[in-house]
Amino acid sequence: MFEQIHEQTLLLLPFGDIVHYLSGYTVILAAFAVMFLLLALVSLPERPIDIVFGTDGYYIKEIPVDIMKFQRFMALACGISTIGAITTGDIFNFTLFAIFIGILNIGIVAAVENKHVLDAAFSYGLVVMMATIPLFAGAATIIATCGTLSIGELVDTDATPLIAKLLILIGVFGEGMAPFYIGKTEITRAPGAPYILMIHVSSLLLFLRTIEIFLTV
Amino acid sequence: METFHLWGTDMIEFLLLLIIAVFTGLLLHGLHRKIIARIQCRPGPPIWQEVLHTLKFSFKQTWIPRTASQVMYVTIVLIAVGIWIAALWVIWSGANLLILFALYMLHKIIEHGTGLSSGSPYTKFGAIRSVMSAAAELPLLATIAIVYLFCGTLSIGEIAQFQIEINKPMILSAFPAAISLYLIILSKAHYGPFTIIEAKELVSGYWTEHFGGWRALLNIAMGLKTVVLLSTFVLLFIGAVPWWMMTILMLILMISISFVCATTPMLTPYQAVTVQTIWTIIVVIYATVALVVSSAEGIFV
Repeated sequence: MFEQIHEQTLLLLPFGDIVHYLSGYTVILAAFAVMFLLLALVSLPERPIDIVFGTDGYYIKEIPVDIMKFQRFMALACGISTIGAITTGDIFNFTLFAIFIGILNIGIVAAVENKHVLDAAFSYGLVVMMATIPLFAGAATIIATCGTLSIGELVDTDATPLIAKLLILIGVFGEGMAPFYIGKTEITRAPGAPYILMIHVSSLLLFLRTIEIFLTV
Repeated sequence: METFHLWGTDMIEFLLLLIIAVFTGLLLHGLHRKIIARIQCRPGPPIWQEVLHTLKFSFKQTWIPRTASQVMYVTIVLIAVGIWIAALWVIWSGANLLILFALYMLHKIIEHGTGLSSGSPYTKFGAIRSVMSAAAELPLLATIAIVYLFCGTLSIGEIAQFQIEINKPMILSAFPAAISLYLIILSKAHYGPFTIIEAKELVSGYWTEHFGGWRALLNIAMGLKTVVLLSTFVLLFIGAVPWWMMTILMLILMISISFVCATTPMLTPYQAVTVQTIWTIIVVIYATVALVVSSAEGIFV
């Protein structure tokens, strides 16, 4: 299965026993992460139009510069974490990046002064925090049973317990995939399109990377 | 096993296929609109209407709305076209099914980004509904798992040729997975029961504010998307068939989808998500049972 998904390893970047790598599959994910990271870096936010209720009038909202800068910083950090999660060859680092993405997703909307958005972010934050438990439990189970967290070595041993993989999968679902994403839907109402989009980008790419890990180790 | 290619082998032939795919996709959409209209006792537009639309939009005045996030407004359109060209490449070369799944998932980001970038409340609601209907993508993953279980490979080319070799299309042995992919195609069809992201109460939903050349490019992406999804269905569940058979099967699929769209009311966002989630659960149960049976008896792979 590993050979089928990876086809060929395009890049290996060892840091001690932790090896970062890019395969034919993950290079596509990484390219997308970089693309949306650059988009968040160079794009200015939109100016949302709101209709004045009961009239024909409308007004254009401007996003304050300080909020925009905060959102952009969080979005860039989220993008970098996503690239980290995609390229890492270590299960523990992957879980750390996944949790980091969850927290940064809340950070992107944390400065928005909108009660509905902040309420949704709070609810989503609770799920994100709870999802750390299965994520770390999955990684702990793998190190306890296999003696390593390196994806490359786990592929060779082919002894990763299914329960550990399922725990990691549940944890990633909790970081923003179905069926826990409804709170996330609400937080995407916040203004700041290039930054808000990073919330969605990071979750989807994280999920796609998890599928690869699930099928290979 | 010789190398699989949908049609032709070199780059020139792929470019030709790309052009044919764009026109075929737009014509299929025209057919889709025509069938819906005829069922609803309307004359409907001519079948080549979507081709005419795309040509018309290509030559209309094009600019960027004052309220838009300008770089994103333009880039997201180019990414949309890029994604579906890449998806066509994956199908053409018979590459990994998981890459196709990734590209399909990334289309969700396109819908979201297109809707958010303009600043319009209509497009924004379309974008939010797109995030909400993320459950629609999970049946596709279950489909891929089931296909792997039966064929023992994720290569589209090998899956397609495997069915021809054993002379048994997978639609017979993995029918729930075929329904699952059919629902995915249905959820992306215009005027369908699950098309909440471009519902009429939102004007045109997530792409309301993309006009002129941008709309023409999005139409091209839409045409490619239709061809890619329909041909994926044929390759995964019928097998590697000659091009004329592929065209006939794609037509049959499109007509059946048009019938469903014409006779089914559009669901509310809540109903759409509920149906998709329930179907995901059913397919996951089916996949689990298939996995257990295959492990116990070793009958599949």
